[in-house]
Amino acid sequence: MRIINLGAVALLASLGFCQPSLAQGVLRIGMTASDIPLTTGQPDQGGEGQRFMGLTVYDALVHWDLTRADRPSTLIPGLAASWTVDANDKTKWTFKIRDGVKFHDGSVLTAEAVVWNLDKLLKTDAPQFDQRQASQGRSRIPAVGSYRAVDALTLEIVTRAPDATLPYQLAWIGISSPAQWEKLGRNWQEFAKTPSGTGPWKLTGFTPRERAELVPNKDYWDTTRIPRLDRMVLIPLPEPNARVAALRSGQVDWIEAPAPDAVPSLKGAGIQVITNAYPHNWTWHLSSAEGSPWNDVRVRKAANLAIDREGLKELLGGLMIPAEGFMPPGHQWFGKPSFKLKRDLAEARKLLAEAGYGPAKPFQTKILISPSGSGQMQPLPMNEYIQQNLAEAGMKIDFEVVEWNTLINIWRAGARHESSRGATGMNYSYFIQDPFTGFMRHLQCNLQPPAGTNWGHYCNADMDKLFNEVRNTFDAAAQSKVLERIHEKYVDDALFLMVTHDVNARALSPKVRGFVQAQNWFQDFGTITMSP
Amino acid sequence: MLTYVAKRLLHTLPVAFGVSIVCFMLVHIAPGDPLTSVLPPDASAQLQAEMRKIYGFDRPLPVQYGLWLLKTLQGDLGVSIATGRPVASELWRALGNTLMLAVLATVIGFVLGCLFGFVAGYFRGSWLDRLASFVSIIGVSVPHYWLGMVLVIIFSVQLNWLPATGAGPGGSADWAWDWVHVRHLILPAVTMSVIPMGIVARTVRALVADILSQEFIVGQRAKGLLDAGVFRHVVKNAAPTALAVMGLQLGYLLGGSILIETVFSWPGTGFLLGQAIFQRDLPLLQGTILVLAMFFVGLNLIVDVVQTMLDPRVQRS
Amino acid sequence: MTAATLEAIAKVEKSPGYWSGVLRRIARDPVAMFALCVIVAMILMAIFAPWIAPADPYRGQMLRRLRPIGTAGFPLGTDELGRDMLTRLIYGARLSLTMGVTPVIIAFFIGSAIGITAGYVGGKLNSALMRTIDVFFAFPSVLLAIALSGALGAGIFNGLLSLTIVFIPPIARIAESVTTAVRKIEYVEAARASGASGFTIVRVHVLGNVIGPIFVYATGLISVSLILASGLSFLGLGVKPPEPEWGLMLNTLRNAIYVQPWVAALPGLMIFITSISFNLLSDGLRSAMDIKA
Repeated sequence: MRIINLGAVALLASLGFCQPSLAQGVLRIGMTASDIPLTTGQPDQGGEGQRFMGLTVYDALVHWDLTRADRPSTLIPGLAASWTVDANDKTKWTFKIRDGVKFHDGSVLTAEAVVWNLDKLLKTDAPQFDQRQASQGRSRIPAVGSYRAVDALTLEIVTRAPDATLPYQLAWIGISSPAQWEKLGRNWQEFAKTPSGTGPWKLTGFTPRERAELVPNKDYWDTTRIPRLDRMVLIPLPEPNARVAALRSGQVDWIEAPAPDAVPSLKGAGIQVITNAYPHNWTWHLSSAEGSPWNDVRVRKAANLAIDREGLKELLGGLMIPAEGFMPPGHQWFGKPSFKLKRDLAEARKLLAEAGYGPAKPFQTKILISPSGSGQMQPLPMNEYIQQNLAEAGMKIDFEVVEWNTLINIWRAGARHESSRGATGMNYSYFIQDPFTGFMRHLQCNLQPPAGTNWGHYCNADMDKLFNEVRNTFDAAAQSKVLERIHEKYVDDALFLMVTHDVNARALSPKVRGFVQAQNWFQDFGTITMSP
Repeated sequence: MLTYVAKRLLHTLPVAFGVSIVCFMLVHIAPGDPLTSVLPPDASAQLQAEMRKIYGFDRPLPVQYGLWLLKTLQGDLGVSIATGRPVASELWRALGNTLMLAVLATVIGFVLGCLFGFVAGYFRGSWLDRLASFVSIIGVSVPHYWLGMVLVIIFSVQLNWLPATGAGPGGSADWAWDWVHVRHLILPAVTMSVIPMGIVARTVRALVADILSQEFIVGQRAKGLLDAGVFRHVVKNAAPTALAVMGLQLGYLLGGSILIETVFSWPGTGFLLGQAIFQRDLPLLQGTILVLAMFFVGLNLIVDVVQTMLDPRVQRS
Repeated sequence: MTAATLEAIAKVEKSPGYWSGVLRRIARDPVAMFALCVIVAMILMAIFAPWIAPADPYRGQMLRRLRPIGTAGFPLGTDELGRDMLTRLIYGARLSLTMGVTPVIIAFFIGSAIGITAGYVGGKLNSALMRTIDVFFAFPSVLLAIALSGALGAGIFNGLLSLTIVFIPPIARIAESVTTAVRKIEYVEAARASGASGFTIVRVHVLGNVIGPIFVYATGLISVSLILASGLSFLGLGVKPPEPEWGLMLNTLRNAIYVQPWVAALPGLMIFITSISFNLLSDGLRSAMDIKA
């Protein structure tokens, strides 16, 4: 009994509950990105950018609840204290803006400021329109049609069509300070150097490609989330080895995505390697553009059957969940797809032959991949392994390697765009948290680039009908049923090369205390302290 | 002397002009529409029009070149596609880091190279000569990026004596000449120094052997006289060429730092080049290449002039 | 090279016995002969890779990935995808040697042609050609290679093209200065005066005197080219996966230095051995032909 008590005390202490008033140290984080994410409110560098430079310095109207490690995160009020949908007109949403929230520069958050921020992304002729932020933010909120400030603290958004997923979309949009932008001569370049949001962290300075420094915002509106650390330092370390070396030599205290090969030696050195499930998948997004060999379902199925997912797990030292569908196994929207993702080379070869490929007409195509990036796990060896798997089935793959941020840009530009260089697929890792990010944005007909991120230009009437049903179903249980049918279609039509799900591995020095790893792409760094 | 300097300058100007043309053409030899090489793929029509105007892609090539050159001469190297920041500001910071590394590597290479070269040349034909010559041929034959990896394996992974990567705990932004930072410099600088070491050693060996075979010296040595005097004579005669080689090596190291900086994640121009290539950031690539090449052209000029000043008999063609 | 040495080279009387003398001298140079043996062995290894290599270079098994040197069945261990290292190192000789040697050979022909033409014709054509060459020569070689392949994009062909362009200027410069020196020698002047055609003069007098020094210079470039070519692949600008090539292997194995450091270092050792052999051979040739550096 005594031992258990001690254990509980130690646990509490380690979570940081017992020493809230001590000086709490500096946390240095090695990121996988190759540059400091854009600091103006709408970061680049994918989910990692949002994790470190989005939801730290900025708040969105809607937040993820990141306090729990034992269940998937849900949405909670952020800068919007509450929201409602008009009972008669399902396109009309009203958001009550939180009262008394201040930007880091001291100016006050109002509904007008939110409108100003939406204009920054959507209204190309607005003076504050910013191409770089628009590139990042626009495709996150395709539902937003029009918006206005009803009064100082009431915002109205009208969606293009009824869309139950609007709050999920808005959780991506960081609100930057209009006053700061005015003060800095209406210049986003200047704003990037001294940004101002409402978030729990303030950016005090950064050196491009090298480091960024954040300090707590002691006046943060949610007092429970005021960071305990003195400072947080972000360091881009795109090379897995460089990250491991930096952690081992004490140059950083925390690294994202440690190389699986290094995990045993890290553990041996007393480093904490933590993992948790989160809504992620690692796929090849296949093109449906004219001329793409993937337009034939037999070819797509053959590729899916050629992958040795257990072998891949070996490569990753067990740090992955083999894909059984587009959603992780056991997900509430998984449904009962009939196509099973297993390795069956004979069947794969047979399908390929039926599709007309063989010694006389060998299968060959080009795929875009990246060397490192947010959620990309270990893309080079993983892709080379898949290349080997597919070669065994008779499919020859050529790779075109581009930097992660560039890949994201190509993803937005679409398979037909020149920047895709004729590739018929790209290795992409997806944030699949809600109906929109999970399904619609990838395959909805009217979200083909440049309108959205349906990179492969997929267009299918049945699929669009299902998507519409989701948007119009405001009852959660009924909506879930439709989502199951969508997922079944995703898998049965083998619309992606479904490979794996990440387990969100990060390695922390033993000094890092009190971190709760939410089942989410984003994390709260406020609870962390550093032991001396 | 002055006329020589003027002549060299006159020779350098057209070369510099040509170098700028080659750099300008980089955007145009990239596959596809040059506009897409200088724009993010999702650029708005407005931005496209703006860039088309800035680069003047609709005008004839010579006019485009003129416009580009004019901006470049004003210190405007364009804007990075990937970051939206001016290329010039990124470049200056990186250039400082690379200079630090390259100068240190050149000094190490020069000192060691002179030592090995002198020993080899002085004791020509002996086992010392063979040993020193072997070390110097290793210097010019070893793939230095691999040597860097091996040094990391030994000194970082196995012995844990020196850090493997980066420019110190705070990055290059708060670089200081203290041990905490300088230890980051050691492995990359040593790795980088092997090529100049090998080349300087081979040059010095040949020079020393040549000078020592002059009848006057042979006579002195035969009499067993004046080793210090002989030494002075050798140094005086070998120094101009050795220094010239060192100067040019500095230029090669600056331009070729990409491999070493990739291995050690050193935040210099080479690292920047690597990022520019994989981000398809052609303005950044173009600007970096231009500045590094111009640096090399300038260094060549300085080396020639200094060498001629030291030893007016030598006028490199 | 100074003008004086060039004069000396050109004045060497190229009697019929000259080349056999060179051969005799180099055959007596044990270091050069050893280097030559290593190079021949590498070439044979590249040609006969499918017969020598114990396994398939493209197929591996995850269960046996990153095995150490000396593992039964895998004498040099396995790589990050469980492929036999020995096999991949043997196959790697094919692309690595091709990527390293081809640019020098092509540049040898193009550079010599440009240099000899410029040197023999002289005048305005010389200035035009050589000033253009000077521009490319004004780039540090690594920088030029990176700039060109960075702009053109990764791939074997682009890598070869970039390296060839890098090596043309130095070869052309040597060729031009040697030719200019030879042209001024009395018997060539005499042949010109006696009305022999330009082509004949070049063929008989100039080529005979000029090719030797250029050849020696070019053999010295091969080691530079090998290191540069593998460097391009190491950066991800040359050969693409899954092809076995030493530079690329070094790149993909870099993540394994904490697990199997010595396996990860093997491809670099191969580059090193090949490159030092070419350098030693080149040095041997140089002294056998009595050319001063």
